[in-house]
Amino acid sequence: MILYLLRRLAVFVLSTAVAGVLVFAFMAVLPGDPAEVALGVNATPEAVAALREQFGTDRPAITQFFDWFGGLVTGDFGTSYVTSSPIGPQIGDRLGVTAVLVLGGMLIALIIAVPAGTFAAVHHRNPLGAVISAFSQVGIAVPAFLAGILLVFVFAVQAQVLPSGGYVPIADDPVEWLRGLLLPWLSLGLVQGAVLTRYVRSAVLDVMREDYLRTARAKGRGRMGALWRHGLRNASIPVITVLGLQLATLLIGAVVVERVFVIPGLGDLLLNGVAGRDLLLVQCVVMVLVVAVLLINLLVDLAYAALDPRLRGAR
Amino acid sequence: MLSVEGLTVRAGSVELVRDVSFEIGPGERVGLIGESGSGKSLTALSLMGLLPEGVTAAGAARLGERDLVGVPERRLKALRGQDVSMVFQEPMTALNPLMRVGAQVTEVMTLHGRPAGQARARAVELLGRVRLPQPEQVARAYPHQLSGGQRQRVMLAIALANEPGLLICDEPTTALDVTVQKQMLDLIAEVAPALLFITHDLAVVASVCERVLVMYGGRVVESGPIREVFGNPRHRYTEGLLAASRLTPRGTRLPVIAGSVPAAGQFPDGCVFTNRCPHATPACEQEPALTGEGHAHACRHPADRG
Repeated sequence: MILYLLRRLAVFVLSTAVAGVLVFAFMAVLPGDPAEVALGVNATPEAVAALREQFGTDRPAITQFFDWFGGLVTGDFGTSYVTSSPIGPQIGDRLGVTAVLVLGGMLIALIIAVPAGTFAAVHHRNPLGAVISAFSQVGIAVPAFLAGILLVFVFAVQAQVLPSGGYVPIADDPVEWLRGLLLPWLSLGLVQGAVLTRYVRSAVLDVMREDYLRTARAKGRGRMGALWRHGLRNASIPVITVLGLQLATLLIGAVVVERVFVIPGLGDLLLNGVAGRDLLLVQCVVMVLVVAVLLINLLVDLAYAALDPRLRGAR
Repeated sequence: MLSVEGLTVRAGSVELVRDVSFEIGPGERVGLIGESGSGKSLTALSLMGLLPEGVTAAGAARLGERDLVGVPERRLKALRGQDVSMVFQEPMTALNPLMRVGAQVTEVMTLHGRPAGQARARAVELLGRVRLPQPEQVARAYPHQLSGGQRQRVMLAIALANEPGLLICDEPTTALDVTVQKQMLDLIAEVAPALLFITHDLAVVASVCERVLVMYGGRVVESGPIREVFGNPRHRYTEGLLAASRLTPRGTRLPVIAGSVPAAGQFPDGCVFTNRCPHATPACEQEPALTGEGHAHACRHPADRG
């Protein structure tokens, strides 16, 4: 068990380091010197050199990398070359918004997928189950931003019951905060829920064919009782794998959805950084997103160990 | 104890088991033999009310005063694990991999109304009774920490927990190593109340059971005391089965039954064995009835009494 945890943790640390190198290297080879960008086309070479020295971009790449990566580890993200404001606090504020957006979307996806998928599996032989499968098929074909635009059209433009965009911090007005997030959550959650429904259905179907479910029925449990007591936990293992992958997808989906609904999250910050040629900001946001995905993978591995005793003895 | 009358199992319009009748007395151990696809397992599953979806049973089966066939699931649920229990063929997958062994044994008792504390104590006791060493430790183990033989003992402990009137074993030793088969069989013979033992292994049935039913094509084609059926088979199918399982001298051809078991629903009319039987005549197109007291057979041209 402890060995398993240590190995997973080591994998996490190692992949974070590798990701750091890759992100840094990728940004370094992109054309565009921050000092030149900051001073514009009419700057004198002396001024550019001076600014480079001030930014520290005149130092060797290795030094810059360790400076940057070491800063990340200690929580110091550096200062933007463009806005001269520290990057850490900006990311901190927006990370919370994006996390709420993604987790809320995931929650909606789960609330839809677990009952619908289980129902579709139990009724896989009759039309009701087929209807759910068909709905989830349609859901898979719809991208999140399109779902978002449709939802805005129906609920904000036509019915005018929810705002079409904007974000109110929960501390200012909890009700408006909730109203503002409802459509973004739904546009992320409905689509992911449709995808997840199919996985839940097939996981439950697989489990329904397992011998231990027959054993449970031989003990005197009914079909649903056996499934509830012995099936769902077993079925959750493959579903968690998909959930982990989906969280990563949701994080990417959030970048687009934040644009559609004008939500000041990480995705919004990333796109602003790109538009403003704020290289260091982009570099930091990308790194934070990568670490978030790696962290999700780590949590998935830990969840396996918590659920499955066979893994606890494994290495 | 158990009496089965005219049990027929259908999947849609296809008859998988046809008009099977037999009885098992208290404490009696009865074997059910036949090739794969002969309807042995379906017969057993229909007694448990565990037929797969889309497969239905008709006829009558009574265990003591209780009906087992044609009863709603709600009533069957109360009987399963309480009055009739079953041990399955594949011990490696029959236990829930995420649940401790003790909890899985306890479950069958709490499910039928025993208080949890009592059930837990009895679970350990049962694990000892099926000769698992250090039953307290086994109770805390997960299935993957046990061997196939040990898991099958756990299944037996689960089956015996509520002291059912009838134990059904479906090929319980087929998946086990030869070295532990014998121990398992001895244990089953020792602890079983009334027993319905399904196997395709004639030696196994001879060592465990007193009486045997031979099934082919969803019908019982011969039945009687082991000694008589094996010593003096009357039905040509039983005869072939015995010949095929006998050890033959080195260098001689292994005797086989010609052809193979037809797919479900593809058996010939009349006697189901006609297309593979060397003694078949046009008379066999009329279905023969199972006749005879004690040692019965359903064959128009039975083998001579030896």
